[in-house]
Amino acid sequence: MLIASIILIPVILIVVSLLVRQVKALGVINALGYAALFVVCALFLIDFLAHGGTPVNLWGWVYLDSLSVFFLLITSIVSFAASIYSVGYILAEVEEGKISTRKAIAYFQLFNLFCLTMLVVPLLNNLALVWIAIEMTTLISAFLVGFHNVKESIEAAWKYIIICSVGITFALLGVIFFYYTSSKDAGVKSLEWVSMLSGSGMFDPKIVRLALIFILVGYGTKAGLAPMHNWLPDAHSQALSPISGLLSGVLLKISLYAILRFVMLANLSVGYAFSAKLFVLFGLLSVAVAGTFILVQKDFKRLLAYSSVENIGLVSLGLGFGAFGGIFAGLLHAFNHAVTKALMFFCAGNAVRAYRSNSMDKMQGLIKVMPFTGIVLFLGLFALVGMPPFSIFISKLLILISAFQAKHYLIAIIILVFVGLAFAGLLNHISRIVLGNVPQGLPVQKEPLSSKLALIFLGTFMLGLGLSLPKALVDLLVNCQQLILGK
Amino acid sequence: MMLSIILSGFLVATFLLVVAKRITALIRSFRIQAIFLSLYALYMGLSQRHLEMFIVCGLIFVLKAIVIPFVLLRIIRRINVEEDLGLLVNPQLSLIIALGFTYLSYLFAHNAMALTDPVESAALAVSITVVCLGFFIMVSRMKAVAQIIGLLVMENGIFLAASAISGGMPFFVEIAFFFDIFVFVIIIEVFVYKVNRLFTHIDTSKMKSLKG
Repeated sequence: MLIASIILIPVILIVVSLLVRQVKALGVINALGYAALFVVCALFLIDFLAHGGTPVNLWGWVYLDSLSVFFLLITSIVSFAASIYSVGYILAEVEEGKISTRKAIAYFQLFNLFCLTMLVVPLLNNLALVWIAIEMTTLISAFLVGFHNVKESIEAAWKYIIICSVGITFALLGVIFFYYTSSKDAGVKSLEWVSMLSGSGMFDPKIVRLALIFILVGYGTKAGLAPMHNWLPDAHSQALSPISGLLSGVLLKISLYAILRFVMLANLSVGYAFSAKLFVLFGLLSVAVAGTFILVQKDFKRLLAYSSVENIGLVSLGLGFGAFGGIFAGLLHAFNHAVTKALMFFCAGNAVRAYRSNSMDKMQGLIKVMPFTGIVLFLGLFALVGMPPFSIFISKLLILISAFQAKHYLIAIIILVFVGLAFAGLLNHISRIVLGNVPQGLPVQKEPLSSKLALIFLGTFMLGLGLSLPKALVDLLVNCQQLILGK
Repeated sequence: MMLSIILSGFLVATFLLVVAKRITALIRSFRIQAIFLSLYALYMGLSQRHLEMFIVCGLIFVLKAIVIPFVLLRIIRRINVEEDLGLLVNPQLSLIIALGFTYLSYLFAHNAMALTDPVESAALAVSITVVCLGFFIMVSRMKAVAQIIGLLVMENGIFLAASAISGGMPFFVEIAFFFDIFVFVIIIEVFVYKVNRLFTHIDTSKMKSLKG
């Protein structure tokens, strides 16, 4: 019942958006819908943990274990926040005459379709359908990236579709290699994850290794891992701000979820150690590339996008030190990053509106122009670079500890260097945005109530998880760690 | 025997795609490739006596040999684009690179995957070649249409790989993939028009407003 409503809520909201013709009412209904979705996911989590985390399998089509529930939780939280933020954001776009009422309604339809495809991914048992759902997320969100129909946004959308589709085509090759060894060596002629897992001990290690590389490169493109990250800064900076938050917070993680499903299939034939090596390689590259590029950014949203590459790299590194508590740390970091980065993008959306520019040279003194957003952005900055008492501090620390425990001393030092670079870059850029001198003649700007609510909601997680980790989340993550390691 | 002819035809059609200098030639070669792919599915259907494979064959023919070329031709007719594909690598060199890929794919199918059945092994070699060449077309041609076709060529290669080494995917999965390709083509068409309207060309190498 709860599972059905996860799918039904976005579907109902799509129908509603076909009927309601008033933007504000539609936005509020939308936000209420995602509030319900969030409650449903939370209830499901409680119910799930009360049953000891036993996987739910519905007719072989839907399969939910701890990992799926965890990613559902991330999706529901960030999409709820984005739906609240959208109310004021889209209304302001309409009032400023940037988009027509019709287009605003189309926004809510696309928003729901986008969330629907992302919510479906963790529910599906069939790996081919997971692949298709992920491809659909690209095709639908491309419209939201190119929403303003100007040169830059259409260019970003074009690159986004093409690069991600190529990436995911390579992932499909990986899926087929898995299917090949599954049907030939294990006799499982099916793409259902559960059936494939039962035969995964008999997979041919040679083919699995190859397939896993294709999977990591393919879905890694969508997850924003370097060196396949080129689409990411463009798409994230050009998308509407609520969508940037969803892209960074959820979409990247959903691809990571797909990768993890295959890693779990590969455990019994090649062992976790092989996947761990790949995770470390791509993670290190991402952290290095992002750490360097963050320093030279001029566009605020691009800066945040590169920071996403850095953080997804850290998550990947955490997964790479998996046997030493790294999976727990990596997944926790994925959660913390989703919440914090969505918050940052929402602040950026407000700032861009106030200064009518993405350029950081023109954005100065936000704390005087938009006091609430300025303060939240400043707190978010400290959270993002990993200062206590915010949640990212804990997950970053745990990732580093797992690196040392795995005896990867050199790698740990390299990570520290590049994380330090990113720290310096973000601090330098964003503190100027918040504290600099206000450009002449810019009055104090109005901040929509909805954006304040969205920021408070995300801020609660950002700070709350830094102060104490709820037992439910810890249990869930420990379950995930055991699942991924195949214990 | 029949299978070897179909596979060779499929490979030759891919080489035609690689040496094409004009957009219409590219679309025509894509259609030839799609016809050989549907012949392959027909052959599999006949030899395995699977009704599902005949349906797949029909779908490939309708979607890839008729609908997609039609959509692509409609794109170039509507936006009145120059015929030239804008090759970053000339046809001669492209062909040499294509031969190199073919040899490497052969080695890959032979050694890395170690397939025992020679026809299976050849089919895999061809499909990996096609995937690589599709990618090559995407990165070495400037026009947006070439990138779309490159991607579709990659998907053709993957379809061949799937049916060559594992006797085809489950039926509903194949149908879902067709749906996916169909949606992809429809959506990408919308974006080509948008690119053309804003940039007044569809030359992706000249899209440079986003940097860093």
